[in-house]
Amino acid sequence: MATNKEPERFTISIGPQHPALKEPGSFQFTVDGEIVTKAYVRLGYAHRGIEKAAEQRNWIQDLYLLERVCGICSHIHATAYCLAVEELAHVEAPPRAQAIRVLVAELERIHSHFLWIGVSAHEAGFDTLFMYSWRDRETVMDLLERLTGNRVNYSANVLGGVKCDIDAEQTTAILDGLNFLEERARHYFDVLTNDSMFLQRTRGIAVMSRNQAEVMGAIGPTARASNVARDVRIESPYAAYTQYPIKMALDTRGDLEARFVVRVNELFESFRLIRQILATLPEGELTARMPRRVPAGEVVKRVEAPRGELYYFIKSNGTDKPERLKVRTPTICNMTSVIKLAVGHQLADVPMILAGIDPCFSCNDRTVELTDTDRKTSNIMTWEELRRYGIKFYEARK
Amino acid sequence: MNTEEILTLATGIVSSWDWATESSRPNPKQLDVKVKSLDELVPIIVALRVKRLGYLSAIVCLDLGPEANELEVLYHFCPGDAVIALRVRVPRAGASLPSLCEIIPGAEVFERELQEMFGIQMIGLNTPDRLYLPDDWPDGIYPMRKDFDPKALFAN
Repeated sequence: MATNKEPERFTISIGPQHPALKEPGSFQFTVDGEIVTKAYVRLGYAHRGIEKAAEQRNWIQDLYLLERVCGICSHIHATAYCLAVEELAHVEAPPRAQAIRVLVAELERIHSHFLWIGVSAHEAGFDTLFMYSWRDRETVMDLLERLTGNRVNYSANVLGGVKCDIDAEQTTAILDGLNFLEERARHYFDVLTNDSMFLQRTRGIAVMSRNQAEVMGAIGPTARASNVARDVRIESPYAAYTQYPIKMALDTRGDLEARFVVRVNELFESFRLIRQILATLPEGELTARMPRRVPAGEVVKRVEAPRGELYYFIKSNGTDKPERLKVRTPTICNMTSVIKLAVGHQLADVPMILAGIDPCFSCNDRTVELTDTDRKTSNIMTWEELRRYGIKFYEARK
Repeated sequence: MNTEEILTLATGIVSSWDWATESSRPNPKQLDVKVKSLDELVPIIVALRVKRLGYLSAIVCLDLGPEANELEVLYHFCPGDAVIALRVRVPRAGASLPSLCEIIPGAEVFERELQEMFGIQMIGLNTPDRLYLPDDWPDGIYPMRKDFDPKALFAN
């Protein structure tokens, strides 16, 4: 006979609607009271078959296809693809083009990190910070639009170079924008590391040791917050990062607060780098000539997206289409860490742990299903309700 | 360690222990290792992990087409600036590979993808469920294979 003394266990499904991400996900967390005891992920709700589609398009069409893998880090996908195809074709983009690629990539990193500060502040119930950081993000979006003509899919890259140049007027606009953004980033750094209410949600939560981060294959700012010195811009400099080296932002604490500190420090490094590039932008051509057919061969290209290492593998068979193209986005690697870190944490911390890896999400209204696995009943809750639940939980603990 | 030292160390590892491997250097940053026996794949990866060369960037599968009737699986390890590619070949029919989940937890997502997209059975996978394909996707149809025909999906 079943005893009623067993603690009640619930399986909570979060998802699957998660539209901003290439890999929108459904998560299932089994909880014992408040504590998560098991986590499971199921992806693919917006799998668009881009890798298969890329095999059926020519090299130029693929550039536009791959830029649309992600709406937040579109430029870095196009950069990785261009660098890979250029390596296969033995073409090198001119120095000015490489510098502009890096400049746009760093502007994109600024926009992505501001966006993330807002999203994770919202998950913690700090909506004022969310609105201010998204307001400030408009500054960098406007700069990107001014530079490339587009706010989201900038389309700055072409095979063999870039299609936008920077003139004196744009330089002044960028420098003015950066001054404003730097001042704001300083303010956010102060808020994120001193606001006691916010620190309650971040300090000491989801601690990942250096060893855990390495074993789980965490990458990008998530790994650097656990003192794993892994940054493709430094390990394997591409485009103009050889001429414009960056300093790695590291933290030893490995908790959510450290992930905030690392990302804000990366913002300061991006500001510095953009100023340096604008001051010393090499003169010259913007594009090099590309052949229509790319010689047979294989290439692995890694670049540092705002969320971590982005990996491209391309195999060419000598025709005008790739034989195989593989994209591995950073979120998929960090997802393993969410699954492992959530175990042992409060259900109320789940939104913040998920937000902590910056999983490319813009959707706040996902369905959360609470199932009592013993009684086979289920109770549906929206993501918004789970978020409120997390906020209330911490309010009650004050 | 610089790239050259990493690749020299890796070459030393894969050529020891009588492992049936064949190494080549397609470019100065990359070491290609053909692993001829599937039983040796996991021990070689453990040896790379022990020497801290085992940061797995991705697992890629290439369908060599119905004529060759083989699939090639590439394990890309990227310590520092270097790329170490372990290459194994499996027949297209009844393909199977040992899972790396026990030594590299992050490999699970790549292996689940290979299983559903190319039809390679991963032995020892913790969660062998589908990762990307829908629940009602028909069994035995692998969309990333070269001879995949979307018409097969609408057969009934």
